[in-house]
Amino acid sequence: MTTRVVHYINQFFAGLGGEDTATVPPASKAGAAGPGRKLAQLLGDDFEIVATVWCGDDHAAGPEVMDDLLALVRAAGPDVVVTGPAFTSGRYGLACARVAAAAAAEGIAAVACMHPDNPGIDEAGTAPVVASGEVARQMGPSLETLAAAVRKVAAGEPLGADDGRVGKIPRRNVTVDRTSAERAVALVLARLGGDREATEVPLPRFDQVTPAQPVTDVTTALVALVTEGALVPDANPDSLESARATRWLRYSLDGRDVLPAGEFRSVHGGFSTVWANEDPHRIVPLDAARQLEAEGAIGKLHGEYLVTAGNGTSVGNARRFGVEWAADLRRQGVQAALLTAT
Amino acid sequence: MRAVALGDQTTYDAGTLTVSSAEAAALVADPALAEVRVSWASPGDSTRIVKVLDAVEPRTKGPGGGGIFPGFVGPAMPQGRGTTHVLRGTAVVTAGFLPRAQEAVVDMSGPAAPLSPLGTTHNLVVEFAPAPGAAWEAVYEALRNGSLALAARLAEAALGATPDAVEELPGLPDAGDRSLPRVAAITNLQTQGTFKEIFVYGRSFGSIALPTLIDPGDLDDGAVVSGQLGHPSLKNPTWVFQNHPVVAALRARHGVDLLCAGVVLSPEPVDATNKELVSAHAARLCKAAGFDAVIVTKEGGGNADADMALKMDALEELGIPTVALYAEMAGADGTGPSIVVPPTKATAMVSTGNYDERLSLPAMERALGGDRVDVAAATALDAFELPAAVVYASLSPLGWGHLTCQEAS
Repeated sequence: MTTRVVHYINQFFAGLGGEDTATVPPASKAGAAGPGRKLAQLLGDDFEIVATVWCGDDHAAGPEVMDDLLALVRAAGPDVVVTGPAFTSGRYGLACARVAAAAAAEGIAAVACMHPDNPGIDEAGTAPVVASGEVARQMGPSLETLAAAVRKVAAGEPLGADDGRVGKIPRRNVTVDRTSAERAVALVLARLGGDREATEVPLPRFDQVTPAQPVTDVTTALVALVTEGALVPDANPDSLESARATRWLRYSLDGRDVLPAGEFRSVHGGFSTVWANEDPHRIVPLDAARQLEAEGAIGKLHGEYLVTAGNGTSVGNARRFGVEWAADLRRQGVQAALLTAT
Repeated sequence: MRAVALGDQTTYDAGTLTVSSAEAAALVADPALAEVRVSWASPGDSTRIVKVLDAVEPRTKGPGGGGIFPGFVGPAMPQGRGTTHVLRGTAVVTAGFLPRAQEAVVDMSGPAAPLSPLGTTHNLVVEFAPAPGAAWEAVYEALRNGSLALAARLAEAALGATPDAVEELPGLPDAGDRSLPRVAAITNLQTQGTFKEIFVYGRSFGSIALPTLIDPGDLDDGAVVSGQLGHPSLKNPTWVFQNHPVVAALRARHGVDLLCAGVVLSPEPVDATNKELVSAHAARLCKAAGFDAVIVTKEGGGNADADMALKMDALEELGIPTVALYAEMAGADGTGPSIVVPPTKATAMVSTGNYDERLSLPAMERALGGDRVDVAAATALDAFELPAAVVYASLSPLGWGHLTCQEAS
């Protein structure tokens, strides 16, 4: 019996164009496309890529399209869902991870492929991720890794480091006999005995962010204000969490020159908000930004600010907010953002 | 303690503690409080305590020995000598709304009960109504002073009884004793001002105070008292400072394979420059004190991870092997990076569990401390789901708990 594979790729690999077409909506076609053709060859006759699903990167990074993408995937009746390779492309990686995660959550076998530094890597949920190269030049070897992983996943076999598995294997809370303090003493005695390897927590690996190129001419740039300082309208109408935020929000600045005390407040749980609430510009400096706009020092201020609460936030969520903000601001033509942090 | 009750007088008899509600309320009474109520919550009860603020273990230094809780009940002088009387298995727990407090839940039965130190103790829960117009700072101070006075009073009720157990705790080893490795604890204290501070001898430990060395016996007598309302699961209640789990674990091995060599209290400054200064200084202090290895703990969230990472690295640079206790913040599905700020030179870390993993709590018949649990959008009696982060002291940074993380198979 042939294993039915659905392959997710982005607009670029679907042959629709680069950044200029990054806003195309979700779509699909029968059969393999782009890198899927080579993947189909590597998988051989026991597998068939029955459909290719794609989406523009700017859309795919937003959470709202996931239902549409999953509907297209489901319509093709897959045994296995394969996404990528996404290399180090952030928005594409996020989409690959989320499609694989959504498929896995529905009980469909899934595997994603991206570079270990891709910011999407922690979004794959319980779906495994295998490593691609850094750039599309490394497509060949990346597809070989992926094809081998697809065979294993289709057979229900677990993937390990030898298969190129990267990203986190889910860590679960368990109860053990000794207290944490007793285990710490055992660990310190092991260290004194010369054991330099023993640990209960593997060292996390953080990606290094390469700063964007400087803005060529800030006097013509569209500039956005963004913050983790949890500044929201006084009634907190969208119930932003004060800690462990799982989402971010947007509020309009159109027609506003100031953020008056009493109309806006910070719901951040990580610091005393007395001074922030006395003058909300201490969190979102709209007053100064409007002045710079009037003086022509910046081109124009973006019509809304983006906000979340950075307090006890998981690194995975914080990274996702960053990628989503970048995609959202790019879609709206923003060239620079001022991030105020508390 | 085997049984507890409320009655006309505060008495202890053969494992039963009876508390006079009127006397307890009078000890906590303060102009900042309009009303004080006490009730018991015991292990196995279908009871949920919400909005938990602090917990104190009843202890006293004996008749006329006013040394307990120095700086609050006793004079602000070093303690840790002589006899300390302890009512094991009990706690005085303050619970109720304060504006800077994050929701903290204790279940007396069900799956969350064994995760919190207070799930295993008979808790005299102090509820309150603030006086009209009272400043919240004054309300919190009144609760702190009152619960310490009440805890001391309860322990005094048992002074005439024969103890069920007597423990002899080791003092500090002689300065020249190199018979076994000298291992110390560095205990980072949250220092972010009112509502997020820790008291040492009754004084708020300053945010840029330099690390200081204390005798572990001081902890037994309540020299370190909590005034910290953030990060419920990552809190160090006064009760846990009194029973400092790392010190207890070091004492258990004292004279066997190590010497329990002391405790360094250190602030957790809020800015990077002072974090670096304090960490570098702590490492020098440990070197000068002749410590051969150190166990570092924290209080708080990701910000406090940075203090541990910097200290671990500073200590390893001076050749002192270091272990730290981290809670993991790996997201609800456990796939995110575990640690916000990891060390770069040290590697030995104990996991006290994942902050973000969710658990299901059953419905309860009785609630104390409040009517609602807003983070779960539920009443305090409902069944609901919560992250471990909300269960009081469940990921105890001082190492009280039995949780850890393992990779799913």
